[in-house]
Amino acid sequence: MKGTQLGEFEEVVLLSIAMLYDDAYSVAVLEALNTRLGRPVSLGVVHRTMQRLEEKKMVKSRFGEASAERGGRRKRLFTITMAGENALRDARRVRNELWDRISETAFGN
Amino acid sequence: MRPSNNLPPRWAERLIERIAAPYLREEILGDLFELFQKRVTRFGHILAQWMYVLDIILLIHPRLWRKNPETARLPHYSTDFSKPNPIDMLSNYMKVAARNLKTNKAYALINIAGLALGMSCAILIFMLVRYHLSFDNFHAGSERIYRIVTEQHRDNISYQRSVPAPLGKAFRNDYTFAEKVARIATFEESLITLRNGNELRKFKDELAYAEADFFEIFNFPLLQGNKATALEAPGTAIITEKIAEKYFAHENPIGKVFWLDNKIAFTVTGILKDLPENSDRKTGIYVSYNSLKALNPWLASDDSWGGIQSVMQCFVRLRPGVTVAQVEKVFPAYVKRYRPTSKNVHHYKLQHLADIHFDSRYDGPMERRNLWILSVIGLFLIATACVNFVNLATAQAFKRSKEVGVRKVLGGLKGQLFWQFLSETFLISTAAIIIALVLTYLVLPAANSFFDIRMSINLLSDRLLLTFVMILGILVTFFAGSYPGLVLARFQPIAALKGKMSQASIGGFNTRRTLIVIQFAISQILIIGMVVIINQMRYANQADLGFDKDAIVMLPLGIDSTNVKMKTLKSEISEIAGVEKISLCFSAPASWEAWNNSIRFDNQSEEVNFPTSIKAGDADYISTFGLELAAGRNIFPTDSVREFLVNETFTRKLNFKTPQDAIGKVIAANGGTMVAPIVGVVKDFHDRSFHEDINAIAFTSFIPNYSVMAIKVNLANIKYTMSAIEKTWTAKYPDQIFESQFLDDSIGRFYETEERMLKLIQVFSFIAIFIGALGLYGLVSFMAAQKTKEIGIRKVLGSSISEVLWIFGKEFSTLILIAFAIAAPVAWWVMNGWLQDFKFQIKIDVWVFILTLASTFLIVLVTVLYKALKAVQMDPVKSLRSE
Repeated sequence: MKGTQLGEFEEVVLLSIAMLYDDAYSVAVLEALNTRLGRPVSLGVVHRTMQRLEEKKMVKSRFGEASAERGGRRKRLFTITMAGENALRDARRVRNELWDRISETAFGN
Repeated sequence: MRPSNNLPPRWAERLIERIAAPYLREEILGDLFELFQKRVTRFGHILAQWMYVLDIILLIHPRLWRKNPETARLPHYSTDFSKPNPIDMLSNYMKVAARNLKTNKAYALINIAGLALGMSCAILIFMLVRYHLSFDNFHAGSERIYRIVTEQHRDNISYQRSVPAPLGKAFRNDYTFAEKVARIATFEESLITLRNGNELRKFKDELAYAEADFFEIFNFPLLQGNKATALEAPGTAIITEKIAEKYFAHENPIGKVFWLDNKIAFTVTGILKDLPENSDRKTGIYVSYNSLKALNPWLASDDSWGGIQSVMQCFVRLRPGVTVAQVEKVFPAYVKRYRPTSKNVHHYKLQHLADIHFDSRYDGPMERRNLWILSVIGLFLIATACVNFVNLATAQAFKRSKEVGVRKVLGGLKGQLFWQFLSETFLISTAAIIIALVLTYLVLPAANSFFDIRMSINLLSDRLLLTFVMILGILVTFFAGSYPGLVLARFQPIAALKGKMSQASIGGFNTRRTLIVIQFAISQILIIGMVVIINQMRYANQADLGFDKDAIVMLPLGIDSTNVKMKTLKSEISEIAGVEKISLCFSAPASWEAWNNSIRFDNQSEEVNFPTSIKAGDADYISTFGLELAAGRNIFPTDSVREFLVNETFTRKLNFKTPQDAIGKVIAANGGTMVAPIVGVVKDFHDRSFHEDINAIAFTSFIPNYSVMAIKVNLANIKYTMSAIEKTWTAKYPDQIFESQFLDDSIGRFYETEERMLKLIQVFSFIAIFIGALGLYGLVSFMAAQKTKEIGIRKVLGSSISEVLWIFGKEFSTLILIAFAIAAPVAWWVMNGWLQDFKFQIKIDVWVFILTLASTFLIVLVTVLYKALKAVQMDPVKSLRSE
């Protein structure tokens, strides 16, 4: 079903948003990903992914306060929705189930 | 570090502002700013800037400018950042425009038709003007090419495009001003014959005796043969491809022989590439100048300084740096040296190549003034079409008040509405241009044959035309669209949505009235012009010329060295039934061909200060043309110069009180070779077109000069008479071509330019009136719709139909009258100027103006009446119920 599918990058972005909780906006997500993924991620990719997530109704957004460090512009803060949470849990469940069925010998090379 | 260095590059921010969708703009700018700040502290300013730009590049993706998706439309989006994005709205504008045109089909049709008509006229006029301006502009060093021409200063100045034949040679030998000097003597309608055994083929074509340098000055390339030597030897000729094809079909023309006047043989030594359309030189056959003496020994000789023959022209290409004044300074010496006995009559001048096509004093075929007039008319037509558009669109604006209201309420700005309307206008004018181009393409062949030229339309390769069409489209869009656009954009949204808009609150009613007045004024000026030209033409064609021009056939005589054949021919033709009178002569009383002479009078030693046109003819001339004698008697039949007749102008110029006083005085003409007494005075007749005064004329019998036979025929059995005449003529001159023309036709041709102008103005005024009527129709339909209720109420309160009709009548009558008040003086002034070209002219009388006014009223009545009547006859119950 469309809407519940998560791409790999969408998944990590969604997870970062959940992790950052009250301060989830594009630059924070970008930095979180940059440190954890160990590869540079561009602002454009993050933006587009977050837009896509919003279209899929997995996150919702609101404007925060304007601040000097942003040149007087407001940031857009994202919060994960129920749908987003479910999608993450689904993804995790699928993975866990798959992990559970991997026999030890499968990696025994 | 200065604080400004802490800011990201301004241009990049602007770029993002420009391309990002409004709802993303703030967020993205904020993010980029924040990242930039962090990077400046971490990597330094320069690197941060690069990374900023890199980020922007990586941001570029359709999502960046895609419209706000449903989910993202949140209530707290700031309006500060909803800058208009005109490109984004374009598809909507076009859609709305298309719907609008579809619902108002009549409106769209009237607008597009009007604009298309106006535009196709403008395109045609543009092509025509450009065609004429391009004449002879393709010669190398054309800015240094001149023609030597003559001004003859007598009691008035007359202009001749030619010079005495030896001038060119003398100028070439005496001075080094010119790189090249070339004389060329051009003879129209030369008799060319081809002989192949017993077979004889006859042609009449234009032939020119040209010096070889002619082809050095002018860029007419030779396909075969050597430019330098092809015309060197007497008896050589070069011909154009067309003539080669006509004479020799597919055979190789080089070395072929043709005959001129059945007596001079020429051998083809070169083939000329067909001459370009945009050249005044149309001659197809060029023969060696060295052969001229076989045709006309006097003209070819080095001492024919005595007179000017119009066939002889002289072209020069000056060396770079030589000025016109320098050259003209040396000419008077020639007059002193070679024409010592004649007063200082000849003044030789240099006429620039670029002026030859346009100077009608020297027989230029198209005056620049006419091109100006045409351009102005084109402008008028475009203006009328634009005015139409503005009128209809402003009237229509009322209908769109709701749309404008909604757009404004939803945040549409004035500028947006203006551009919306302009893009709509652009759509209409594009459609009009496409139709106009198709129209032009269809009309072009007719226009070509009308002007006797060959223009072609090729939009893809013709960049200038393409540019013109594009500029035309843009200009029309702006002129037609901007005013209604402004009116629309100005609407108050509340009034518009509440339906409280009225015609008055839209305003611009007076603007529209002004525009209608302009339109009417333009049409009326054109109508007045047309009527005046028609009157003058009718006057010229029907006025008493002082001689009989009806039912006279002018029959050129064949070439005949002994002058015997013409006399027998005359007696043979005079026996044909239907031939009433017959005369051998040089030319008709009124003719382009004139033999102007300076005469000496009454044994005085000095020549008189006016030119005298010598007309040669036999004793039957007076009776054939119905000329009347004012004094004295007709000449006796003879072949040589024994007696003179003169006209009244001649006696007046010599200050005789009565014609009778001139009788018996002696005239010496043609350099003293023709000396005889005056025996009679002819009443004045028009010997030229009405453009010119009546010349002094001396008439005498002089058989070497006779070239035509004037035959007064009975029109009752004209077919039989003409075929009998042709049979007799051909029997006398079997190797020549029979031609004849009625005198009134050739006199009609005096006014060819005027006739052409008349037809043009007729067409254009018709188009102007048509466009105007279209606009009027649109306007009156609108007015009728607006006034439905008013009419209903008036009718309920007891107005009669005619009273209600007067609501419309009053409005339009006032407009017509105001327009007329503007048009009448302008048209009078312009047409009075035009009439000054005629020495014999009509007066512009009141009737012209009354006629114009009446016809305008009629046109308006026809256009308006139907719609107005329909509005008036509507049942008031219906019109008042509609709410």
